[in-house]
Amino acid sequence: MFNLHLSAEQLEIRDTVRDFVTGEVKPVTLKSDRLDSCDRSLPLDVLDKASQMGLRTLSVSEDNGGAGADTLTSVIVAEELATGDADVAATLTETARLGHAVFDTLMNDEQRERFLNAFLEDDRFHLALAEREPDAEIELGINYHRPQGGPSPLKTTAVRSGNHEWVINGAKTCVANGPVAKLFAVQVATDPASGRNGVSTILVPRDTPGLTIREANGGLAWHHGTSAELVFEDCRVPAENLLGAEGAGHGRIERDGPQFPAMNLGIGRAAYEAALDYAQIRTQGGRLIVEHQAIGSKLADIAVRLEVARHTIWYVAWAADHPEAVADRSISALPLKDIARIFTSEAVHEIAKDSAEVFGAMGVMRDMPLQKYVGDALIFLHSGSGTSDARLRVAESLVGFQRPAGNA
Amino acid sequence: MDFSLNDEQREWQMKARKFAEDEIRPISLERDAIGDPTKTFTWEIIKKGSKLGFRTAAVPKEWGGHGTDFVTQALVMAELARGDSAISKTFSQCWKWSHLIAAVCNDEQKDRFLKPFLADDTFVLGKGITEPNGGSDNRLPPEDAPKSGIRLKAERKGDEWILNGEKVFIANGSIAKLFFIDARTDPNVTVRQGTTMFMVPNTTPGFRYGKVFNKRGWRFYQNAELIFEDARVPDANVVGGVNGSERKGGDGSGGDLFGDLELAANALGVCDSACEQAMEVALTRTQGGQRLIDQQLVQLRINKMHMLTEALRSYVLRVAWEHDHKIHSANAGLVMNYSTDIIQTVTETAMEIAGPVGGTMHPGIEKLVRDGMIWTHLAGDAVQRMRTVRRHILPKTKAATH
Repeated sequence: MFNLHLSAEQLEIRDTVRDFVTGEVKPVTLKSDRLDSCDRSLPLDVLDKASQMGLRTLSVSEDNGGAGADTLTSVIVAEELATGDADVAATLTETARLGHAVFDTLMNDEQRERFLNAFLEDDRFHLALAEREPDAEIELGINYHRPQGGPSPLKTTAVRSGNHEWVINGAKTCVANGPVAKLFAVQVATDPASGRNGVSTILVPRDTPGLTIREANGGLAWHHGTSAELVFEDCRVPAENLLGAEGAGHGRIERDGPQFPAMNLGIGRAAYEAALDYAQIRTQGGRLIVEHQAIGSKLADIAVRLEVARHTIWYVAWAADHPEAVADRSISALPLKDIARIFTSEAVHEIAKDSAEVFGAMGVMRDMPLQKYVGDALIFLHSGSGTSDARLRVAESLVGFQRPAGNA
Repeated sequence: MDFSLNDEQREWQMKARKFAEDEIRPISLERDAIGDPTKTFTWEIIKKGSKLGFRTAAVPKEWGGHGTDFVTQALVMAELARGDSAISKTFSQCWKWSHLIAAVCNDEQKDRFLKPFLADDTFVLGKGITEPNGGSDNRLPPEDAPKSGIRLKAERKGDEWILNGEKVFIANGSIAKLFFIDARTDPNVTVRQGTTMFMVPNTTPGFRYGKVFNKRGWRFYQNAELIFEDARVPDANVVGGVNGSERKGGDGSGGDLFGDLELAANALGVCDSACEQAMEVALTRTQGGQRLIDQQLVQLRINKMHMLTEALRSYVLRVAWEHDHKIHSANAGLVMNYSTDIIQTVTETAMEIAGPVGGTMHPGIEKLVRDGMIWTHLAGDAVQRMRTVRRHILPKTKAATH
């Protein structure tokens, strides 16, 4: 049965994370001198504490030492964390989500034996998926409703050297968590001759010789958390680092889940809460501004958008936790994740701007959080391949368009 | 109906376009990127522009200025803003108060202040209204809270006035040589009835500027805090008469009318730049071997941007024409409010086209979006929209009670 009644455990985790954000995250990330200088460096102490609370390993199964959180719980946590800082949220969410995919579903026992303890014991052990390549076209765009869409063939190759090693050569870009990850899941062509079917995933520890990591940063870097470019030059890893079967293809690890719009939602909620507080202390026109129709209805619009977005995200998360409800057609088979992303990113962009407007001129000052929320919302609107592409994917799904096998 | 420009208007437009392309655009992004808000400004561009007449364009010819008409002013502001919105605003801020001087200063004051203003390439003007507790309250004074609004106090002492208090977000605050300051001279009546305008040179004893605000957009433009601690201003610097600020600074002066047109014309320049930069991306960037412009979605976005920009251009020039023909309508307020919506839609649509490439956003378009955000609290917030209704759209008998 469709049920969004949160469990006692889910409510507790939400309150715990909310308190953590209020007490430990915001005092660091919203300090006016940090905002003023647009400093987006990761607050490592905050991440350490979050790791100690179990948020880094949130989605990893209990058997493997994590909290075993389901998707709904993880979107609740992602929203809460992002109300404090989108970069902190993005870093933890990426590791937690990949931790589940890699340790719970893709690794074999021998690999877990080698990597799991180190991952669990080190608060700064993050994970990254290295998938995109420089100059590769990731947009659907012109390929909408055309057979040739889908990922380009990979140029990064892994070649067996004897029976014991893979030798990797090539480059990856836009690797989320790249600057902090200690273990990378790298997508490579292991059988370039066969084209797209030859894609495999290989585990590469950070300190492997032949791997160079360059952090992408600066004010125009359009992502949350950290991102890096990786260069592999005769980078050798043991043959046993192959994750899953050889040639298993793209897409065994999702690029992002409903945690992505959930973080976006957190930005909107933070902006809303700031605006609501301010509207109740600022007096103009002889009364608190919340008592003016112009401000009151703006806040109401914000609340409407937040509630609808949250409902959509929770619906997606619940569906992910209940695949049987999709299978029996209780839940739409449309790409709900894209639907949540489109609605949330556009709604939160409006929410952030409206909230900033409540602050008048203070809403555009860099030392105030509002302009950060607006900037964060814009990043969500256009990061990855953007909302236009998400729209085109939804459009293709409406008529059941499918690319020929091997192109999807 | 005749939409053609005369030779003089065309000449100013071309001069501004060339200056924007040759001088403003090359420094726009680098000035914008400077983190310290006191360092984004540079006198060099102001001096160069001043020599071409952009600082003094609005001063009447009989007082030694260029005496440009409103249509010319709108064209020039848009062209300069196409290079950099904040640099355009730094120039036009001087025009705003040139209009005010021409309209309300007496001859002795014009002689004392216009002459040095005309002679000095670094003489820029500012006006201080907003205070920490009085933003909207000064623009739309509440009837049921007569004591709200300006608190900066001015008290008469012999031939001088003693000013105490603070202004915030004041344009050209850290660089202007002369400010028009609204101060409360009668605390017992409303802000409209009890406020006086003073001319305050930046060398006035007891006057200084404080913090320069670090804004997300319009970074070249200096908005500062002004601090008055027993600042002594001669009685001869009272503009228009004691308790006459609202009457003199209001619609009668031309200063206020100009302000509405100014923001809309500047927004037009930003929209032109957005169209230009988005088109460049659409024509040069490819996907799957095809130019972006070959995609339907990109064509639709380009269409939307141009449609809105051209509508704004028509409206801006119509309002400028109305001003030149002394027609006072609601259009000045309406075009200002309208420009707020259009500048955001157009710049954000440009960002949709440009998107991030390799994880990095297009720097020029990203700046336009940040500059566009500035309008939300200047020209198109709820207070400004209601003000337009109350001042210009309501039947006059009704409007008079507000």
